[in-house]
Amino acid sequence: MKISTDNGVKYWRSLDQLAETPEFKKILDNEFPENPPGIAGGALSRRKFLALMGASIAFAGLAGCQRPVEKIVPYVKAPENITPGNSLFYASAMPFGLSAYGIVVESRVGRPTKIEGNINHRLTKGKSGALIQASILNLYDPDRSGALRNKAQEASWSEFVSFYQELQKTFIESQGRGLAILSSSFASPTLFRLYEEFTAAFPEAQWAVYEPVSDENIYDGIKAISGQNIYPVYDYSKADIVVSLDSDFLYAESDEISAVRGFAEARSLKTENDTMNRLYVVENMYSTTGAMSDHRLRLPSSHVAPFALEIAKELRNQGLEIPIPNVRLDGFDRDAHQKWIQAIAKDLKKHKGKSLIVAGKRQPPYLHALAAVMNHGLGNTNNSVRYVSLKDALPPSLSSLNRLVESIDNGKIQTLIIMDGNPVYNALVDMDFAAKLAKVKNTVHFSSHVDETSRQTTWHIPAAHYLESWGDVRSNDGVRSVVQPLIEPLFNGVMRAQLLNLIVTGKDENAHDIVRKTWKSIFPELDFEKKWRKTLNSGVCEENLYESEEVGFNSENLGNLSKSLNIENLSKDALEITFAADASVFDGRYANNGWLQETPDPISKLAWDNPALISLNTAKELGLKNEDMVSLTCRGRSLELPVWIMPGQADNTIAVSLGYGRTSAGRVGNNVGFNAYLLRQTSAKDFAHGAAVKATGKRYKLANTQNHGSMEGRALVREAPLTEYQSHPHFAAEMVEHPPLESLWKEHPYDEGNQWGMTIDLNACTGCNACMIACQSENNIPIVGKEQVSKGREMSWIRLDRYFSGDLQNPEMVYQPVTCVHCEMAPCEQVCPVAATVHDEEGLNVMVYNRCIGTRYCANNCPYKVRRFNFFNFTKDYPHVFQMAQNPDVSVRSRGVMEKCTFCTQRINQAKVKAKKEGRELADSEILTACQQSCPADAIRFGNMLDKNSNVSKSKMNNRNYAMLGELNLKPRITYLAKIRNPNPDLADTKSQI
Amino acid sequence: MRVCGVSVKDTTTLLLDEEPLITGNQTFSSITEKISGIVEGETNKIWFILLGLTSSLALMFFGSMGFLFWEGVGIWGVNNPVGWGWSIVNFVFWVGIGHAGTLISAILFIFRQKWRTSINRFAEAMTLFAVVCALIFPGIHVGRIWIAYYMFPLPNQMAMWPNFRSPLLWDVFAVGTYFAVSLMFWYTGLIPDLATLRDRAKTRFRKMILAIFALGWRGGNKQWKNYEFAYLLLAALSTPLVLSVHSVVSADFASAVIPGWHTTIFPPYFVAGAIFSGFAMVMTLAIIARKVYKLEHIITVNHLEKMTKIIMLTGMMVGYAYAIEFFVAWYSGNVFESFTFVNRAFGPYAWAYWIMVSCNVIIPQLFWFKKIRTSVPIMFVISILVNIGMWFERFVITVSSLANDFLPSSWDYYSPTVWDISLLIGSFGLFFSLFLLFIRFLPMISIAEVKGVLPQADPHYYEITKNRSRDE
Repeated sequence: MKISTDNGVKYWRSLDQLAETPEFKKILDNEFPENPPGIAGGALSRRKFLALMGASIAFAGLAGCQRPVEKIVPYVKAPENITPGNSLFYASAMPFGLSAYGIVVESRVGRPTKIEGNINHRLTKGKSGALIQASILNLYDPDRSGALRNKAQEASWSEFVSFYQELQKTFIESQGRGLAILSSSFASPTLFRLYEEFTAAFPEAQWAVYEPVSDENIYDGIKAISGQNIYPVYDYSKADIVVSLDSDFLYAESDEISAVRGFAEARSLKTENDTMNRLYVVENMYSTTGAMSDHRLRLPSSHVAPFALEIAKELRNQGLEIPIPNVRLDGFDRDAHQKWIQAIAKDLKKHKGKSLIVAGKRQPPYLHALAAVMNHGLGNTNNSVRYVSLKDALPPSLSSLNRLVESIDNGKIQTLIIMDGNPVYNALVDMDFAAKLAKVKNTVHFSSHVDETSRQTTWHIPAAHYLESWGDVRSNDGVRSVVQPLIEPLFNGVMRAQLLNLIVTGKDENAHDIVRKTWKSIFPELDFEKKWRKTLNSGVCEENLYESEEVGFNSENLGNLSKSLNIENLSKDALEITFAADASVFDGRYANNGWLQETPDPISKLAWDNPALISLNTAKELGLKNEDMVSLTCRGRSLELPVWIMPGQADNTIAVSLGYGRTSAGRVGNNVGFNAYLLRQTSAKDFAHGAAVKATGKRYKLANTQNHGSMEGRALVREAPLTEYQSHPHFAAEMVEHPPLESLWKEHPYDEGNQWGMTIDLNACTGCNACMIACQSENNIPIVGKEQVSKGREMSWIRLDRYFSGDLQNPEMVYQPVTCVHCEMAPCEQVCPVAATVHDEEGLNVMVYNRCIGTRYCANNCPYKVRRFNFFNFTKDYPHVFQMAQNPDVSVRSRGVMEKCTFCTQRINQAKVKAKKEGRELADSEILTACQQSCPADAIRFGNMLDKNSNVSKSKMNNRNYAMLGELNLKPRITYLAKIRNPNPDLADTKSQI
Repeated sequence: MRVCGVSVKDTTTLLLDEEPLITGNQTFSSITEKISGIVEGETNKIWFILLGLTSSLALMFFGSMGFLFWEGVGIWGVNNPVGWGWSIVNFVFWVGIGHAGTLISAILFIFRQKWRTSINRFAEAMTLFAVVCALIFPGIHVGRIWIAYYMFPLPNQMAMWPNFRSPLLWDVFAVGTYFAVSLMFWYTGLIPDLATLRDRAKTRFRKMILAIFALGWRGGNKQWKNYEFAYLLLAALSTPLVLSVHSVVSADFASAVIPGWHTTIFPPYFVAGAIFSGFAMVMTLAIIARKVYKLEHIITVNHLEKMTKIIMLTGMMVGYAYAIEFFVAWYSGNVFESFTFVNRAFGPYAWAYWIMVSCNVIIPQLFWFKKIRTSVPIMFVISILVNIGMWFERFVITVSSLANDFLPSSWDYYSPTVWDISLLIGSFGLFFSLFLLFIRFLPMISIAEVKGVLPQADPHYYEITKNRSRDE
């Protein structure tokens, strides 16, 4: 180090002294600084400090992938009358069994995309059901047959026409000897005209009508005592007391839409001073009707008729005029049900003329006759029940099929034409129909798919879907409609009328002309065109409605009918087996419909399968658990299938649903579930005793959409008896105690414009699943398959939660439709890191699909668990034809995106645009959400909550109104109206009985 | 006492009067030789075997990720109520592991815990690798990986910011910051040792590489002065981060409305748990490393015992949190909350809950016994059990709360798939691969800092030892 010489010869005394010099200090400071350079002086500013720490290391970028490119298909030839983006609506009708649903079909750029009920049609009145909604998917079923087949080779329609014309010549000579037709039942002026022409032209020919699931027992029972071909049509809105004898009239019976509407009407409560109906249900397996009941008694199916007889006797003892022959039905323990019998009889008598007894279609003709006699005695005829003639209709008849089979056995049939139906799959198993078919030289099967029957016949003719066909129908309550096509047949399908016309006349004519020919006899020639167009436009023929028939009952025949009854003692080794049409796939005809397959059964909440249902006690006695495979034996035939324990099922009974286990349904329905038809035989058609189960030791995985049936004491569905409601009208809102709901900040007021809100009336909802399919159809909700459903990945935006309460053996059941409640303080919005879910100014909780990166945080934080995530690209493999079923107004979501109910934002915007163009305010109820529009019970109200006169505002003013989980202070826009039951005080202590 | 004109206050304990932290009469040069030798010497055979194993697992990790990107998160067991499964459990688990390193380096540095010097380097490395594993999980768990960058506040044509109210976004910043600071801290600490290696390098290439990373370090007084200030600064910066990162991670849960998540105890509870699991992981690694590289004199049983004490303390804190959660659930009178906790202990996930309680609360109590605190094999087993327990803690919190929340209708059971398992195991593969590469190529113990705690590091070591020998 250099030491300055300024000090001259001044000697330093110590190193310490030298160290004091500034020079040394400077040198020292340079080498051993107190502070690093730049922070000298000690004062470290905040800015400097942060700047020093500011260095950071860039994150490695994550590998990017390309989004899949969507293919677009331009118009080659534009359809007529189309403004792109605008829908056209056409009235039509959906034939179903002996009835028909009046519908309006929405058509987008030439393709039908959505079905709604027709407001002009008195059966549907603008409402619809799950099967109606889902039937549009059948149109776009990629597995539909696309060509005629002759001996498994592709053939053409003209080949068949010339083949048949050749054949017909011989039949004309022989008056139809050797010719037989096996059709499904229908109610159609045109088809019936052709049927009559057929029988006239070919008196020697046979015509059999078979339906695996039908109202045949009803027709037979009523005919036996009235001598007429009539059918009971019920008006539930006029019944204060309804007794259901194994009748699931709110779901599985015919005309369920009008039944739900009427029932909900008689049950609706505006204030606590209103009255409501009371429903008793006596049934074997739990049904949605049982869930709505005020009293439910579980009895084996075979015990329902004697139970009804005891009520009839009781009514007679109480002085009512009910002429029943003195029959004793042994094997039924009257004393055990004494209380029920007396209470129901008393209640019925008290409400004479305003009551209704209905019997289910599985019950034998005897019970239908008895119910008719009882209704008559109670003065209900022409009040809550009227009888309509079965004109223009060919009802199903098992005996006609038996005759046909006999003729085949005798070698009398050379040509068999099967119109619709799938007898190889669903005829009674002891008929061995497939073997019978092989004995016939020429067999023709007309059906939409190359199904089990088509594979056995020499000819297969593809059937056009009803949305592709000209035709006509008549509904159960006597309304006729014309079925008009919305689209050219997609798969070269042949129309029903066209084929039948060929069979009868030998001429290949246009179905449109054939139908018009029929209608020319209905409308006077002078204004035919005008009236025809009017009928097409409104969807209903307003003339010559079939009204009620005058009836008189001869109850003598009841005695004869009762002879067929067979009441046996049941035990765990001799169970009673019941065959029921499946809630989703019906008799199997919807097996290839993915929407229906994926819609959970309303009772068991299982999708994609049909286990055998048994009661808790029976399961315990037999040592069975859920998902155990059993071998179920019934009168010498057996089937392996899994069991599912269903609380509320009658003990010592087992219920199986038909329609599964198809082998030629298509890619969706093949090998799904178990074919219960293999057990169904002449001696065991609807229900029978003597079934036995044996565990096989195997297990089978079932896909359940709801694993937990208890509300765990939480006030989710709020319910009270009518008396409590009357004494404590605000019970629902006061059911949960919570601290005052205050906010830490000033909340958005939402006090301008439209503020969308909804109410769901739990007192009206029957759990029919119509809303689920309507939503699926409207909002392009994907089908995910059984495996994904069993993992809990079903995509339904609206779901029906089903809870049990009360006794474990015979619980009460409630439904609660749950969808996004559009919380004003939505917890999903706060947690999304990319702001993909936000609130709009009208109070909608919106999903921005393009922004969503799929963290699933929003779904986790949703207390209602209504958000649905695309775990895979569920829509990637949609066949082209299936893509046509998609609603073009709604994005089809890709993989990795969250989705949920939007309150049908596309409908809101359409209505807003329309109102703006017309320079007016939106009217109340101008916007109907898809779920609301379909709901036959009208349980859903939607609209502007700021408009005090809107339906939704009025509904929210109802004192039953409450917010589920309202204590979380999320301010949901959907509120519920509490459920009220109306129990009979005389049966107060039987709630938990049996 | 006065030594050579410099007064030494009697209250100050001289380094050489303390129980020596480093045993075996190490000298400055023996330390340098020992630690540099690992890096410079022949590659250990066991190292090759281990790297072969771990890198295979890491390959499986990346392979599984590839399949995940191809197919979508549906390959996991996640479902409708349980939107977050193992991926988030793993994320929280690895972030937790990543706590010990910085805690040891920063907080113990500030508290002048000299024993930290033997373990801080690899604890920090472990932190980095754990955070790398942790950062991968939230990245890959999103449904649309190709737009995961939406989470960053990047300027874009939509003028869209991310949602600053979302705890997931806080995670992005918190964990990102933590990683950046930990990396700088670790690198800063490495500089003098890199220079040592540079000076010892025998080949020109090696010298060049090391020279670049040693940033011209020559060990001058001025450099040391700057260096130590920078180190202190980073330590000061890291200290709040240690506490903040896991607090923010806990906010993912605590700020949600789901019963079992919505609780204010989470930040301290998570931090304690993170330290707990992080120390256990350091212990696992230290025990293996000292055995394989014969570092028993540098990482002594004394070091390990100190760590067992911290594990026991934080284990009890975690146990306390478990108990308090139950108490509050009951005391609040909230039906949802009470149900959730009863359901945790006795519901479908009870097995996971009791694994968690056994491993985290009961087993660490064994450390009350000195014998167990000083038994290396037992503490090795316990350290692994603690991490199993801590993984299950995150599993219990994440999954059991989601599986059974407000509406019983939506309840469902979550089970992992083979892909969940392969990603968890694969992440361990990646972690250990990185760690093995680290101990092979970088000094796993801070040479400079260990020297600082040798008795010889005392400036008056020679005088005092001379005086003492004269006094005797």
